[in-house]
Amino acid sequence: MSETAARTLARMFERMSEVIEAEKDHLSELDGAIGDGDHGITMSIGFKAVTTALAGMNLETASPSDVMSTAASGFLDAVGASTGPLYATGFRRAAQALAGRDMLDLPACRDMLTAISEGIRDRGKAQRGDKTMLDVWLPAAEAATVAVASNLPRPAFWKAVETAAENGAAATATMIATKGRAARLRERSLGHADPGAVSAAALIKAIASLQP
Amino acid sequence: MALKTSAPRKGVAGRANGADGLDAIPLRYGDDPYVWACWLYYEDGMTQGEIAEAMGVSRATVNSYLAEAREKGIVNISIEPARLASLTIAQELKRHFGLADCLVVPNDDDTRPLIGRLGAAGAQALSKMIKSGDTLAVAWGRTILSVGEHLQTGPLQDVTVVQATGGTTASFAYTPELTAAAVARAISARCVSITAPAIVGSAQMHDMLLAEPLIREQFETLARANRVVFGIASLRPNSTIHTSGFFETVPLQHYLAKGAAGVLAGRFIDERGRPVAGPLDDRTIGISLDMLRDIPTRIAIAGGFDKVPALLAALRGGYVNVLVTDAATGAGILRADGVTSLDGKLSQRQRSVPVANSYRTHVKKFLNNPNDVVEEMLDGLIAAHRPYIETVGTSRRALVARNGPRPGKVGLVIGGGTGHEPCFVGYVGKGLADAVALGNIFSSPPPDPIVKCAVAASGGAGVLFVYGNYAGDVMNFEMAAELAEEQGIPIRTVLTTDDIASSPVEDKEGRRGVAGNFFVFKIAGAACDRGLTLDECEAITRKANDRTYTVGVALESCSMPQTRRHNFEIGPDDMELGMGIHGEPGVSRERLRTADEIVDAIMDNIFKEMKAEAGDKVAVLVNSFGATPLMELYILYRRVEQRLAAKNIEIEANWVGHYCTSLDMVGASISILHLDRQLTELLYHPCRTAILTIDGRETNGAARG
Repeated sequence: MSETAARTLARMFERMSEVIEAEKDHLSELDGAIGDGDHGITMSIGFKAVTTALAGMNLETASPSDVMSTAASGFLDAVGASTGPLYATGFRRAAQALAGRDMLDLPACRDMLTAISEGIRDRGKAQRGDKTMLDVWLPAAEAATVAVASNLPRPAFWKAVETAAENGAAATATMIATKGRAARLRERSLGHADPGAVSAAALIKAIASLQP
Repeated sequence: MALKTSAPRKGVAGRANGADGLDAIPLRYGDDPYVWACWLYYEDGMTQGEIAEAMGVSRATVNSYLAEAREKGIVNISIEPARLASLTIAQELKRHFGLADCLVVPNDDDTRPLIGRLGAAGAQALSKMIKSGDTLAVAWGRTILSVGEHLQTGPLQDVTVVQATGGTTASFAYTPELTAAAVARAISARCVSITAPAIVGSAQMHDMLLAEPLIREQFETLARANRVVFGIASLRPNSTIHTSGFFETVPLQHYLAKGAAGVLAGRFIDERGRPVAGPLDDRTIGISLDMLRDIPTRIAIAGGFDKVPALLAALRGGYVNVLVTDAATGAGILRADGVTSLDGKLSQRQRSVPVANSYRTHVKKFLNNPNDVVEEMLDGLIAAHRPYIETVGTSRRALVARNGPRPGKVGLVIGGGTGHEPCFVGYVGKGLADAVALGNIFSSPPPDPIVKCAVAASGGAGVLFVYGNYAGDVMNFEMAAELAEEQGIPIRTVLTTDDIASSPVEDKEGRRGVAGNFFVFKIAGAACDRGLTLDECEAITRKANDRTYTVGVALESCSMPQTRRHNFEIGPDDMELGMGIHGEPGVSRERLRTADEIVDAIMDNIFKEMKAEAGDKVAVLVNSFGATPLMELYILYRRVEQRLAAKNIEIEANWVGHYCTSLDMVGASISILHLDRQLTELLYHPCRTAILTIDGRETNGAARG
């Protein structure tokens, strides 16, 4: 691997942006059922802005932490709404977690996933089971922790993370939203997967496909 | 039956005998023998033979009249939809989960609390099932206590009621002891308590207590139970499980983190109904999940949408074979488990009326490129309101009042999504808000423009943020507050929560901010302009928010410029009471009523919370959601004035018009600010903005009541 960790992270964000672009309409449709129908658009704007911001960096000299904090500000300035602060805080925490590291090994990936999920949790003050993106990020981070602890090889690590994320997203259909605008829908949110959770699973799948 | 008097009945029979008799039809039925036959049959309750005699035709003819009348649609048999729906839901629940029985109470009676209605229904179910000689295990809970209060049975012999768990020291009325005793009393059964605490300090203590002969004997009774009745608790933040004192908070968090979705008789299960292991398991004295599942008749009584995940978990785990719930919860459970056939069944039966104008797929709007609406609107708006506002630097998402901020004055920053015009930007100007941060349509602005506003509004005395209570806004404004404080600007925040329909009074802090923003901004702006301290400004603004009450009603949904389709549908004869300003649903979807009835429903809600006495003064805002014209707003205002006058509450000032809209939504909201002396003074404090100018006691746009 001659590629720098910063470059790997930048490619990871590019892949995330591609996946969101492909899923954009589907996400907006999901959001239309229980929110205001713009989740796909918001995520697309956010990740395009991240890609643009990263394009301005020198990835040969930048650290993984720099990439994360640039992604955080890029996303936030473009989006606002509720997704903006959540992902921006998650990426900013990941930047802190990756500070001083120049390798993206599995423990670093675990710390990155954990930092993102904790950032999202602290900013949104949600709990597991509240039918949010947290129902994907938390189990994914836990799966990463378990995978590192049991010395799983790279492919099995990412398989475990991806599966946890997918199961988490599917489970949101049986939950009732307590956060965000869907919370006002009360029981009408049942049977619908949370769009934020579905997009989170798509993002994790995108990361996993790179096997960093 | 009022029209019965002139029906000719038997008098006609003699005359018409042998003839075809149609000339004998009374005039009021026109010349339609079908209508006459139907009237006599369905309204007068005559038999087909009597009708044949009355009409002078054969019985077979009457029979064919009645049959054809059904086909021609002269007669429609209707079953009250709410009751029919609950029957359908009950059948569907029974089928889907393989239940022995299911009772679903309709949601058409909101005058009685759900707990009471479930209790009555549970009592009904239980009274049918319980037999002489039974042993009935009873778990604790509010709903089950209510079952006990409603329960009546015929004479039963040798019934034993046994407490399903140990007891508690909690002070509420639905402890395990009291719940079991209430049920036992209602059916004159012997009551066996479990004379140990439900949760003990250690596993050793648990084992020691269970080894005691007395308690062992009580558990033997419990093990003999052939029926059990229990409630199901959710772990959601507002569940009584957190406040009951039954569980300690720390272990609860443990179960929650491990994915617990519900609690049955003190035992935790996950969303698939599997037991969740945790620190209380070995310390809980009571029925185990395995014991529970072995009881032949397992009656669960629970309702309320927040319990859906818990109920679904219990059903999936097989802990329930008789379910008593309400229609909304039942439908929610089915939807959550992926049953889609229900919606079809419900709407099929309510025979759908063709929607007028359904041929039109797009709403007409004045647009260039739909993706540019916000930028283009801001161009126009900044140009139109140049006397009052200017951009902060080059960002059009951060606008500041000309001559607004000044040294020593607390700055007032407001903001939120666009699509609510003239909110928020119309309230920026001298004497009101100093700056406004704007996001995309119905979306919070990011922190950056908010920070710019804070800097622009800061006069060295701190800055007050006032905005509506929405998750996105809260996060962005909080981040902005952190950034502004890093720059040495003290920030205070007041969230507006005037929409009393959005959450019950116990969850006041969870309510959203809607058109009542108008009053809260006005009072906050005046307090800031008078040079009060940041503390004082915050306290007064909080008071204004606490005394502002809004309820909205929507008749038609709004449409986004990008889609030009309705964001959601409100049926042709329906309205949504309690609608929010982004189309969030409110209290209930109801049949459209007259303007006065709608105002009455709104005012009744407001009077429930507003503690105004005769002689008190209020300010009134009747606000259009966008498409409702002034003509209708005045009709609403008329009734508001009548209702307030009847209580001798004086309208000090009023505003009627477009003050906080939701794109092109059809609908209106009524906001009342309950004034006191301080608020009245601040309401009249001069201000000059694009939408609101007040010059001492002379106001434009507003009238003295």
